[in-house]
Amino acid sequence: MKGSNRSVEGRPLDDLALVERARTGDVNAYEALVQQYQQLAFRVAYQVTGDAADAEDAAQEAFVNAYYALGRFRPGAPFKPWLCRIVANEARNRRMAAHRRTALAERAQRAQASGEAAPSPEAAAEADEFRATLVATLGRLRDDDRLILAYRLFFDFSETDMAEALNVPKGTVKSRLSRALTRLRAALPADFQLASGGTVNG
Amino acid sequence: MAESARLTDMELERALRELGPRYPYPPTPNLAVAVRRRIVAQPVAPVRRLTLWRDPRRLALAAAVVLVLAGAAALINPTTRDAIAHFFHVRGVIVSRVSPLPSVSPVTPLNLGRRTTMADAQSAVSFTIGVPAELGAPDAVYVDSEVPGGEVALAYTPRPGIPLVKQTGLGVLITEFRGDLIPGFLSKEVGPSTTLQETSVNGHPGWWIAGEPHLVFVQVGGIDQQVSLRMAANTLIWEHAGVTYRIESSLSEADAFRIAAGLP
Repeated sequence: MKGSNRSVEGRPLDDLALVERARTGDVNAYEALVQQYQQLAFRVAYQVTGDAADAEDAAQEAFVNAYYALGRFRPGAPFKPWLCRIVANEARNRRMAAHRRTALAERAQRAQASGEAAPSPEAAAEADEFRATLVATLGRLRDDDRLILAYRLFFDFSETDMAEALNVPKGTVKSRLSRALTRLRAALPADFQLASGGTVNG
Repeated sequence: MAESARLTDMELERALRELGPRYPYPPTPNLAVAVRRRIVAQPVAPVRRLTLWRDPRRLALAAAVVLVLAGAAALINPTTRDAIAHFFHVRGVIVSRVSPLPSVSPVTPLNLGRRTTMADAQSAVSFTIGVPAELGAPDAVYVDSEVPGGEVALAYTPRPGIPLVKQTGLGVLITEFRGDLIPGFLSKEVGPSTTLQETSVNGHPGWWIAGEPHLVFVQVGGIDQQVSLRMAANTLIWEHAGVTYRIESSLSEADAFRIAAGLP
């Protein structure tokens, strides 16, 4: 069974044991945590940066930072949202640096273009278009909005984990999520709606 | 307005849940090897916690040891130094070391907000404005009410002993804002020719950034909202009780600290 741990994210008991070992200097234990969470970390970073190289740098930096900060990690606290908070901060740093090089409008346009070019050959054309529009519109949201939507609806975080990852009071998570959905809806094309099969109509 | 034709929250949530597994992420890189290489190269012994958490004095001592070790590592390895720079940041400020530092026009507008009186500025911000005794009343006061908690800028023109800073057109610029409310408000990028030193100002955590000018971004209202950036001169920056203070000048570290001594 142990061999399957790597593919299962967020098993708190496994995390606790690995974190505890890593805190005492066990590099192998920390490497196991990296293996377990690298996909999530990379994807969270990518939600912020929209750029694979920046997301990789941010995720790597976050894992290194998190290791050096383990001494300050609250014992027994969940590792996943704590890590995600560090990842998102690192990704924001990278994204700010990217802003310096690229005009905001140009970047938004690029995000839209890459969204529209998203490959999904197996899906029907309408579903492709629906998803591509959704991805492109998400790319134009503030990253706080994109992150809260991703944590909840892509990565299935609990409200407690979302609050920790976003560094906000738990009581505000629902309203923030609702506002993010409202802004997403407002940013979608006016004729964007679900047809019966979940595809775009119009 | 055909609002009724628009997706409901539930429909949007369902659409996003369905999108999640199909989101066009690039392939996840293998980070474990690089991370392992870096932490093995700079082993900072994690704190043994069993008794430490129950004994505040031991905990404080252990924290001090970690800080010293981290500081030593920072001197040895620029990569580690970057990591630490990110981590021990003053609230409201993120400092990163980059190489090379991109060039930006030194005469970018300062965007300090609206010019006003000290009394008006005080009524517009949610903290007590500090004015350093060393400099006295500022030559101009600016306030920006759009920043959460408000931001105030105290501008001092050059005078004997306080040379002109070409990046600001001023002698000394002091800004104060609620760093606890806006964690990513200021983002600073420091190039290889700039000294970045973690320090303590009036007993509070801070940074002394000196040498070649560094880049400073001001961020309001989320990443995609307003972003302004400019080059900045020598800066002493620290936080106390949720308020972040920043002194920018071309003065020496000792002079900057003398000014800071009159602030919280």
